[in-house]
Amino acid sequence: MRSAEEYDVMVIGAGHAGCEAAYVTSSLGFDTCLITIHLETIAQMSCNPAIGGLAKGHLVREIDSLGGIMGLLADETGIHFRLLNRSRGGAVQAPRAQSDKALYRLTMKNWLEKVPKLTLFQGIVTEILVKNSRVYGIMTLDGNRFLARTVILTPGTFLNGLIHIGLHSYSAGRANEPASLELSENLKKLGLKMFRLKTGTPMRLHKDTIDWQHFIPQPGDKKPVSFSFRTQKKLKNKIMCHIGYTNPKTHEIINKNLYKSPLYGGKITGIGPRYCPSIEDKVVKFPHHQRHQFFLEPEGLETAEIYVNGISSSLPLDVQRKILKSIPGLDQAKILRPAYGIEYDAVVPTQLYPTLETKKIQNLYLAGQINGTSGYEEAAAQGLMAGINTALKLKKKKPLILRRDEAYIGVLIDDLISKGVEEPYRLFTSRAEYRLGLRIDNADKRLTKYGYKLGLINEKDYESYEKKRERIKKVTIFLENEKIKTENKERISLKDFLKKPEVRYKNVLEYKKFKIRLTDEEVRHIESEVKYEGYLRKQEKEVARIKKIDREKIPGNIYFKEIPGLTREVIEKLEKIRPKTIREAKNIPGLTPAAIVNLHIYLNIHKKGKSKP
Amino acid sequence: MLEDTIIAISTPVGYGGIGIVRLSGEKSLPISKKIFKPKKKNTKIQALRPILGNLYHFEQKFFFEEAYLIYFPKPSTYTREDIVEISCHGSPVTLEEVVRLGKKAGARMATPGEFTFRAYLRGRIDILQAEAINDFIQASSFKQAKISFNQIEGRLSQKMAYFRGQIIQLLSQIEASIEFPEENLRLSIKRISKTIERIIGSIKRLIESYDLGKTFAEGIALAITGRANVGKSTLFNSLLERERAITSHYPGTTRDYLKESIKIKDSIFTLIDMAGINKPVHPADKEAIKKGGELAAHADGLLLLFDSSRKESPEDFRLINKFKDKKILFLFNKIDLPQKINKNKVKKEGKNHPHLEISALKGTNLDKLKGMIYELFIPDHKQGEEVILHLRQKLLLEEILENLLEGESLLKEGYSEEVYAEEIRKTLPLIGQLTGEIRADDIIEEIFSRFCVGK
Repeated sequence: MRSAEEYDVMVIGAGHAGCEAAYVTSSLGFDTCLITIHLETIAQMSCNPAIGGLAKGHLVREIDSLGGIMGLLADETGIHFRLLNRSRGGAVQAPRAQSDKALYRLTMKNWLEKVPKLTLFQGIVTEILVKNSRVYGIMTLDGNRFLARTVILTPGTFLNGLIHIGLHSYSAGRANEPASLELSENLKKLGLKMFRLKTGTPMRLHKDTIDWQHFIPQPGDKKPVSFSFRTQKKLKNKIMCHIGYTNPKTHEIINKNLYKSPLYGGKITGIGPRYCPSIEDKVVKFPHHQRHQFFLEPEGLETAEIYVNGISSSLPLDVQRKILKSIPGLDQAKILRPAYGIEYDAVVPTQLYPTLETKKIQNLYLAGQINGTSGYEEAAAQGLMAGINTALKLKKKKPLILRRDEAYIGVLIDDLISKGVEEPYRLFTSRAEYRLGLRIDNADKRLTKYGYKLGLINEKDYESYEKKRERIKKVTIFLENEKIKTENKERISLKDFLKKPEVRYKNVLEYKKFKIRLTDEEVRHIESEVKYEGYLRKQEKEVARIKKIDREKIPGNIYFKEIPGLTREVIEKLEKIRPKTIREAKNIPGLTPAAIVNLHIYLNIHKKGKSKP
Repeated sequence: MLEDTIIAISTPVGYGGIGIVRLSGEKSLPISKKIFKPKKKNTKIQALRPILGNLYHFEQKFFFEEAYLIYFPKPSTYTREDIVEISCHGSPVTLEEVVRLGKKAGARMATPGEFTFRAYLRGRIDILQAEAINDFIQASSFKQAKISFNQIEGRLSQKMAYFRGQIIQLLSQIEASIEFPEENLRLSIKRISKTIERIIGSIKRLIESYDLGKTFAEGIALAITGRANVGKSTLFNSLLERERAITSHYPGTTRDYLKESIKIKDSIFTLIDMAGINKPVHPADKEAIKKGGELAAHADGLLLLFDSSRKESPEDFRLINKFKDKKILFLFNKIDLPQKINKNKVKKEGKNHPHLEISALKGTNLDKLKGMIYELFIPDHKQGEEVILHLRQKLLLEEILENLLEGESLLKEGYSEEVYAEEIRKTLPLIGQLTGEIRADDIIEEIFSRFCVGK
């Protein structure tokens, strides 16, 4: 009989990473406690009231195929849906949805409360208890101790969080929520190397104080595309987004007040993301731009708050007001929450295994922003994988490590643990070498099998997945076998006809009708598979070839100092990271191809037993 | 292996005024001290100062040859290791003995190009420069040496770096419009096309220069052709100034083809004398003729001979037409004999290719011929223009070009960005093999420094 405060898994922090992790471990049968500073802010969207986008939308589909919940939740609480890059090929199309923020976190809390082996708990964690390099529990601020076999730490931006508005700063993990101070110290004491990052969030305005006619409406899609393959209900757009622009007057105000900015005034030391630039970053770096775009996004159906996407800032409140005044339509707008910048501690992610377990401390897993990423989706993906691998380890099974050619999740984690992070890491499709094969339409084809095997995808859903594969297989065979004569008197198979860039599936149907009706999603899938076929085959060959070379092992007792032609910096990196294979070595930042060549030559020379290693 | 101290004779084989033995590696100085003793007994060997002394045979314990020793301490040396150079009289026997003694004292014989290889491994030079240095040493003509030297100075690396930057820029434009669809970054097909075309142009020019470079490295191949008994072998021998081919008055005596190099001014030419192209009489002729035809097809240029002492024949015209697309010099041979050929008719048929009257036998106009050959085949090579000397480089550039051309045609056929971006992305590892790798981070870096994107 186990004591009430003893768990298999302790998840610290109920953000997007923590929620996925806790959901997974408890669904897989392990007693899990999800501890968080405020139960009201479970799955709180700190910034953007939206899920998805390029690469991020891909992650959500992958999370969904593995059995995670972000996709289902986004569909359930979405109020405005768009499929980006509709006019382009399937590989770069991605779903994006505005969510009702309040509904999102309430629904998440609701769902988690219903999971049998999951206990939610409100508390502030101050220490992770470690003995003989292995976790055994946590301590909270009010002096309580929880024992756990494994700990998954997902504290978001709360570690030593410091908010900046103008030249004022104060300790907080997120606007006015207390920062986690002791925990950061604790991690440093445990020997984990940390660094400091920064991010920011824009202001929120009251919708009734905005003159909407000045802005360009951006409606949602007529036929919204869902995130989850398991979502049955029809999705509806319930709000409108709007587009606006800053102007030279705005920029003048910003330039005049730059000295009041903590970054430009030298107060902030953390490194920020370039792709979430504050408006002052934009103005400073691109002075020749006459205007910068922003979006006005409602944060929910039951709230008046409008999120100004594109005007994040850490300038003081009075300057923020001046900025608004310079923009027609926002000149009367009232600020409900000021924009602010936030600095926080993160852990250098090269200290992790691909399972996200720390190398130094057994059974301690890290996921989310603490690893240097930015974005809800990136966090959720890590939380999911940390949860899965925690469960697999507890079951004494082999871990699940996704490859770069298998999933964006693979690219994300591999980038983090191999290359490390210099600024908050955000996923882009261009980070994937095998982008054409990693699409939203084939996420289930790639990953559902893992989700099912793990037990996160139930029988019913797996059955409907298999039926889908059947349908697609039948249609593909049909396309291959049916020959038609085109307008140019060519005699080709329907498949080759569909390969042409200007041809869509509906054009194929004009020639020959088939009794199986495909859903829009399935049509997109077939179009992509056919149109990218040549590339996909080539990629498969390339993947096989590289795997072979990459698998070449580097002996554990190698003295990197002996390899000629390596700079001291490279030797230091090799000794620190101690790659076990050529592949691991390749991914170390700063390792030039020449260095890899030298390493390779050295390994091969010594393989022949010429001299002692 | 790479930890060994290597030794080699650095000056070319043969008798010369000075011979230099060079050592590179950790033990360079201690080994040298065993085989060289300064004149003044207790002189300390200082860095970079030539020290006069004698070579010492430590096995038989006697001094021989006077020599100078210079010690170059690492890291500011060619290989970034300790280097010692011992200069003495250039007698091959002496030099070889020095090397042998050096080996006895602990050095290892350097493999060909090993000093340069070490320079490359230690990052002193990049791969292009390493190849160039190799060529420089092997330069068989002065012109080639000039080109190699320019490469050594890294100018080729610069050019490669330039279009590497261009490709990053192009990709970043395309990727930015894909990753940030709501930011109005979409480039017109026209603009992307123009950019790709510009890069394609630079690469094509670089590849063309390979052919130039190849001629310098391998010599320009000239095939001497014409119908039987027109004087090809005589010309061959005359140009070579020694008898190689068998000449006789009977048609069809050269059964095989012959290949020899001659030097005209500062360039190398390879002359190929083929069997008289005629109807085969002897079974061996057939094979020789076929081979000859192949050689002619692959030669850089042709010297087409006509027997001006006989009337022009259909065979002559057949040859003119066969080779009309090649670079060709018409030679009216045997002008020492009474002329029977209708020169104008032949010239007209040949659409006024350059031509010359010669007598291979008598040597008439042969110098003029050499001059014409040089003018015709050595294009005006501007000083400092990059020339690629290696097949490896050319093949890589051709592959890059292929990908870019494929990308361009996909773009024009209306394929979506990510498809032609894929083709362009394929060039990245190839460029990496030429000079420096390009990573996803480089593209992302470029996107954010050039475009104001992100929310």
